[in-house]
Amino acid sequence: MTGLKCDKISMKFGALSAVQMVSFSLNPGEILGMIGPNGAGKTTLFNCIIGILKPTSGKIYLNDADVTGMKPHKICRMGMAKTSQIMQPFMTMTVFENVLVGALHGAQLKMGQARRETEKVMELVQLTEHADKLSNSIPVPARRRLELARALASGANILLLDENMAGLNPHEIDEALKILKKIRDSGKSLIVVEHIMRAVMGISDRIIALNYGAKIAEGFPEEVVNNEAVIKAYLGEKLSSLKVA
Amino acid sequence: MNSKADRIILILFLLVSAGLFFVPGFVESEYVLRLITMVIFWVGIAGCWNIMSGYTGYIDFGPVVYFGIGSYVNAIAMTKYSLAFFPSLFLSGVLSAVVALIIGIPTLRLKGAYFAIATFAFAEAMKQITLEFDRTFKVSFFQGSDGITLPISGYDNAFFFYCILPVTFLVMLTHYFIEHSKFGYGLKAIKEAEIGAEISGVNTTAIKLRAYITSAFFLGLFGAIEAYWITYITPSEVFNVQKTVQMVIMTLLGGMGTFLGPIVGATFLTLLSESLGTRFVEYYLIMIGAIIIVAILIMPSGIIGTLKIRKRLRFI
Repeated sequence: MTGLKCDKISMKFGALSAVQMVSFSLNPGEILGMIGPNGAGKTTLFNCIIGILKPTSGKIYLNDADVTGMKPHKICRMGMAKTSQIMQPFMTMTVFENVLVGALHGAQLKMGQARRETEKVMELVQLTEHADKLSNSIPVPARRRLELARALASGANILLLDENMAGLNPHEIDEALKILKKIRDSGKSLIVVEHIMRAVMGISDRIIALNYGAKIAEGFPEEVVNNEAVIKAYLGEKLSSLKVA
Repeated sequence: MNSKADRIILILFLLVSAGLFFVPGFVESEYVLRLITMVIFWVGIAGCWNIMSGYTGYIDFGPVVYFGIGSYVNAIAMTKYSLAFFPSLFLSGVLSAVVALIIGIPTLRLKGAYFAIATFAFAEAMKQITLEFDRTFKVSFFQGSDGITLPISGYDNAFFFYCILPVTFLVMLTHYFIEHSKFGYGLKAIKEAEIGAEISGVNTTAIKLRAYITSAFFLGLFGAIEAYWITYITPSEVFNVQKTVQMVIMTLLGGMGTFLGPIVGATFLTLLSESLGTRFVEYYLIMIGAIIIVAILIMPSGIIGTLKIRKRLRFI
């Protein structure tokens, strides 16, 4: 099976269980939303999957290969990349060079090929106008897209987006959603962690909800937002008025 | 970034290097030739530090150890095993690189001040080992504080000029390669955000190690050449922490992680201390200290680094 499969992942920091026995799978071409209150373990789970943390127990399979505990750069080269909630652009490099790093090292392309790939990716995420600017001189929405571009350029088929829309206004969110859909249509699968319910609902094929490190619900968007446990833990009230895009 | 400015700088650099090749034929004064050799020597050494620390941001506080290892390998190979200078020189570089590989694997896991302390400690440890080894094991190998006298070469300053020039040239060429290659983008990415680099597919450990070994190889060559030049080495001289400090300050002054940084910094500081040292014998160190402090206050990113930021220029 292609895609990502997580089997009973737990991550303990001393006595604290940040992630407890979380299992899920991501199918090719799917967008999986991940929701949950602050501290639910979403970012920790991402860090386990991408190799920044080694899970205390559990297994992670990428395209049927066991990648548990592998180094992030290896996982990246095998086709999975992440964007961080806290943006980490390479400040003194231009936007173009930032994305180029992904193409050179992640996708292991030769310089000429990598440059062409970079241009293509920047076109896709609408960064071309910023290409020659330093990455710390561009506005926040563009920086969010830069993270996305770097992950895409690394050739990943599976993208984990950790609050990639944080700090964007509604108009910018619409733009970002359009880009994500374009990316999905190009054959990639995504896991989207987001607090903005309108965004998650609008884009996800399925949603999983976490609370205190454990999975409390999984299913289609409408099922999950109407789930009692999810409402109690996260939403606070029923999202009946919510318009599903 | 293959910008026009970069190409002009490369052409200038190649022209200057080619021009320098003819210097010993034109310069009559041995003093001037020696001074020019010293400038090139320090450009190369500062450049070695820049390859590792300037580009990755890992502050190596013990680069002198590879210089010292180069010196000792050369001295021992030439005196104890009667090896000729050039094979011995090559061996010095290779052994320095091998030690760098062994030391680099554990120390490059450390970050920030811990890395600086570990490298500093290793350099001091090597100094103590060469000092005390013979007395402890009752042998005559490193010859402790007596030092080793190398065979007198009989070569003049021009010979050593021609030994040092190509090595410095290679160090600077490595810089140019770093600025325009996959390897270089990896190094710079590590400096900016190591985890960000790792999740973008950069094999951070391997790339750091490569930079560290490259730097150690060239330092070993420089150490070997200097040992043969001055013909007498002692542990406290070749492992002197002051050499480390000088590499760091020259690079900081010129601009860390830039191609022109070590060239500008080392040239400026060598010529400055020479011109002040001959005129103000007693006070020149104080004056140099003050000048360095002022320069760093005005230009915190170094001469080249600050120029790039202020003028918003993009060049190497």
